[in-house]
Amino acid sequence: MMENYDVAIIGGGSAGLAALKHLSNLGKQAILLEAGKQVGTKNISGGILYSKKPKNGRTYNVEDVYGPEFLNDAPLERRITQYMLHSTSRNKVFTMNLTAAHEYQANFGYSVLLNRLNAWFARHAGESAERQGGGIVSGVHVRSLSWQGEKTLIETDELDPFEAKAVIAADGVNSEVAEMTGARAKFTPEQLYQGVKVVVKMPEEIIEQRFGIGQDEGAAHLFAGDITLNHIGGGFLYTNRDTLSVGAVYHYDSLMGRPAEPYALVNALLKNPMVAEFVKDEVAVKEEIDKNLPKEEQLRIRFAVSKLLKTRNELRDAWHSPAARKRLVEGGKYKAEEEIKARLDSVQNELASKYRTKFVTDYVELEYGAKLVPDGKRCVMKKPYFKNILFVGDAAGRGVFIGPRIEGLNVGIDDAVRAANAVARAIDRNNFAPQYMGEYYGQSIEESPYTRDMKEIDKDYLKIFLDASRDVPKDIIGQRYGMVFRLMSSGTLRGLAVGFANILGYDKLLPLIESEDTYVQVPVELAEKMGRPVQATYEPTLPTVAQRVAGLKYDDDRASHIKVLNSKSEFMKRMVTLCPTNCYSMEGGDVTLQHEACIECGTCAKETEWRHPRGEKGVVYQYG
Amino acid sequence: MANLNVAIIVKLEPDFSEGNVSYNADGTLNRAETKSILGPHSAVASNAAFYAKVRYGARIAVTTMGPPIADSALQQAQLLCDADELHLYSDRMFAGADTLATAEVLRTGISKVEGKMDIVFSGHRASDGETGQTGPQTAWKLGFTFLGNVIDYDVDVQNRTVRAKRMISLQGFYDVVEEVEAPLPVFIAIDPSYKASFNTVSQRLAFEKYRKEAKARAQDYKQYLKVFNAQQLGVDPKLVGLPGSPTIVYKVERIPKAKASRKAEVVDGASREQLAKVAAKMYEVLGGMVIK
Ligand SMILES: Cc1cc2nc3c(=O)[nH]c(=O)nc-3n(C[C@H](O)[C@H](O)[C@H](O)COP(=O)(O)OP(=O)(O)OC[C@H]3O[C@@H](n4cnc5c(N)ncnc54)[C@H](O)[C@@H]3O)c2cc1C
Ligand code: SF4
Repeated sequence: MMENYDVAIIGGGSAGLAALKHLSNLGKQAILLEAGKQVGTKNISGGILYSKKPKNGRTYNVEDVYGPEFLNDAPLERRITQYMLHSTSRNKVFTMNLTAAHEYQANFGYSVLLNRLNAWFARHAGESAERQGGGIVSGVHVRSLSWQGEKTLIETDELDPFEAKAVIAADGVNSEVAEMTGARAKFTPEQLYQGVKVVVKMPEEIIEQRFGIGQDEGAAHLFAGDITLNHIGGGFLYTNRDTLSVGAVYHYDSLMGRPAEPYALVNALLKNPMVAEFVKDEVAVKEEIDKNLPKEEQLRIRFAVSKLLKTRNELRDAWHSPAARKRLVEGGKYKAEEEIKARLDSVQNELASKYRTKFVTDYVELEYGAKLVPDGKRCVMKKPYFKNILFVGDAAGRGVFIGPRIEGLNVGIDDAVRAANAVARAIDRNNFAPQYMGEYYGQSIEESPYTRDMKEIDKDYLKIFLDASRDVPKDIIGQRYGMVFRLMSSGTLRGLAVGFANILGYDKLLPLIESEDTYVQVPVELAEKMGRPVQATYEPTLPTVAQRVAGLKYDDDRASHIKVLNSKSEFMKRMVTLCPTNCYSMEGGDVTLQHEACIECGTCAKETEWRHPRGEKGVVYQYG
Repeated sequence: MANLNVAIIVKLEPDFSEGNVSYNADGTLNRAETKSILGPHSAVASNAAFYAKVRYGARIAVTTMGPPIADSALQQAQLLCDADELHLYSDRMFAGADTLATAEVLRTGISKVEGKMDIVFSGHRASDGETGQTGPQTAWKLGFTFLGNVIDYDVDVQNRTVRAKRMISLQGFYDVVEEVEAPLPVFIAIDPSYKASFNTVSQRLAFEKYRKEAKARAQDYKQYLKVFNAQQLGVDPKLVGLPGSPTIVYKVERIPKAKASRKAEVVDGASREQLAKVAAKMYEVLGGMVIK
């Protein structure tokens, strides 16, 4: 006999998990299917998770879904208290403080790493769901949906087929559910950003000294100008508890025109003298082992050095973390905190004197990753439902890009609550028809302040930028946006101008706002004319893409989850450059794929038969 | 009340995995230096019992005979199978037991488990004992049908039967799978290649639920632990320990490589006479075994 459930949520990112949690809070039974072996291993973000305080209307925030425990217990990295925008040109930087833009309509914004955060969400959502007879099933990849009467038959690569009355599609930007049901077309490059990111290691208190922040504070630095290699997009650096998230988000369309390797873009950012200084640390470099020594001696040295290095790194992290220091002393391992330092010094001395290890200035990358990000202004689903399926988060194209802020996590959570409400109401009436459930959800989404953000310019938000750029000579901005600026500079005129702009709509305005002028020329000019010089004290050793891939974890699947449809198309030729892990190469006149290094970013999805890997297979992010 | 009662017999064994095992100079195991863990075959048996928990909500008891520290094997097994009850049979009187005397203790212990027993699981064999006899002998003493080398099983809870797949070798063919059905109660010795699979959403949900429960229980395993000495078990002293053991393991030896003591004589098979010579030689060596 076929199993039957009220609700199946497909995808365990932050959006799907919020839907599960909220449905369980409402006392409904729901199951969630996630392809990754564990929740959190497939998700990647920048990222700052916002809680929104909208001027009008209401949003459902993360703390509304998970309750007070969220702020007390969730693995949040740092509360972002400083938000700076840097315009760069070679070694010159012009800085604007945009903390007001960060705080605009926000209760808070925390830097987060999705692997840990989603695992926490999963624990809480999973427990609530179990109480209602539902729960999370991970390591399962949904392969197809079909309908038997009103019910949806769900087939997976791993389990027996089963039925559900309602489906919430939370399967991310590369939604297979959307594609296989035809609910929306695949997103096109004009509608997407490509995000690339590296996680950099840095001890806790060094972060605090470097960025001038306290234990409970965090910094966000945004970059525009020549670091983008003339593409439309920008860089970011967010402080986490004991790591940094450094990355860049580029308009995919702009990359299609003049393809640039994603890792070259991230490298350009890391090479910028200001960023280089931000990420620098003291890194141990091993001395080559003398090949003339007897084999056993070489082996002994190799073991001794790696053991000492491990100890050194652990001690160093602990020494720079108040909580770890306290733990070590209270645990009785050390009598006083200074002893940790003494031990660290002695280990470093031993490494230096006995094994000639050098300690140099460089930086340490822990993880490399990439993913497409939907630009809601251009791709949001007008009707985020299809039959008895409700689309939420990235799957529905609901990302908000306004100014330097990227909002997807919070938007997906808000969508998820609205979807869960619609489903709960449908369960009560046992009516899952689109006229009852889908339309209700669509209406609720229409009322969401985020939907408004995807359609209209907010004049108060704009004013923050105008205020921040008060000191900027008018001739830099003026020649391009002179009219706009004059209109915007006075309160009443600004109202009129924004009103006028909003009548035109984002479609007409975007080519003006999101242009190379805005992202590259203006910042470069700003930096050149007004910037201060910044010098790097070293040159960061940038890993090659092969080294970056080697540092990632995969559960290999022999069969490829992606099939190239036309190996000669112009699009596919671009993939040789645009795939972040070099999976594509040219052989003769054909583009060929080696899928093993694929990190499932979706960049090549448009002209391939693109599936997520089977359950548990593929990339396994440790940070996200 | 559970629909199905199962028990597992497990064993604490030296950890033979690399880096953990240590040997004396004479090649025997250095028990003091080697960590002990739940034996790998016991772990497979625990996984098989866990399948009964996930599929049928079985009530599980894990039992072992051993020194007091063997409770760590029970804890590790509980983590794997979410056991409801843990039994440790520990008494100096049990020392020196061979498989038969061990089976006597286990049989008595299992009869003390709550509820009427339906299935008892054991591993294929212990990795430090090599005999593989404890299971079958316990089965015999319990009077349960013995199913060995089981790689897969399902229970018909309503009709009280078990359907099992057994890996056997048949007429010189290895890896033949035999499917059998037997009425409960049964004793299942699980094959090392056993792997549980859970193919429906509800099974996966149950799996997750019990796995979490197992974690919590194993942290608090003493609460589930019952320790019995010989007297509490009420075993007959003549049937356990050294007195109850008709065999003793004197020594486990590697089978020495046969010394090459063969002699070869080259016979050119070109003529009839030469071939007759070969036949005669074969007859001489194999004697009556050759059927003319
Ligand atoms: C570089 C970068 C920076 C960003 N910065 C920010 C930021 O600062 N702030 C912010 O709010 N947002 C940011 N975002 C956006 C944000 O990360 C996303 O909007 C958000 O993670 C999307 O969540 P989701 O749950 O909708 O989708 P996802 O997190 O993509 O989750 C989808 C899940 O579905 C699973 N899945 C897919 N298909 C199937 C299937 N067929 N069967 C089973 N499971 C399936 C996947 O394994 C995955 O776990 C950034 C994104 C990037 C890439
Ligand atoms: S193969 Fe496609 S999905 Fe995979 S990493 Fe490359 S571009 Fe991204």
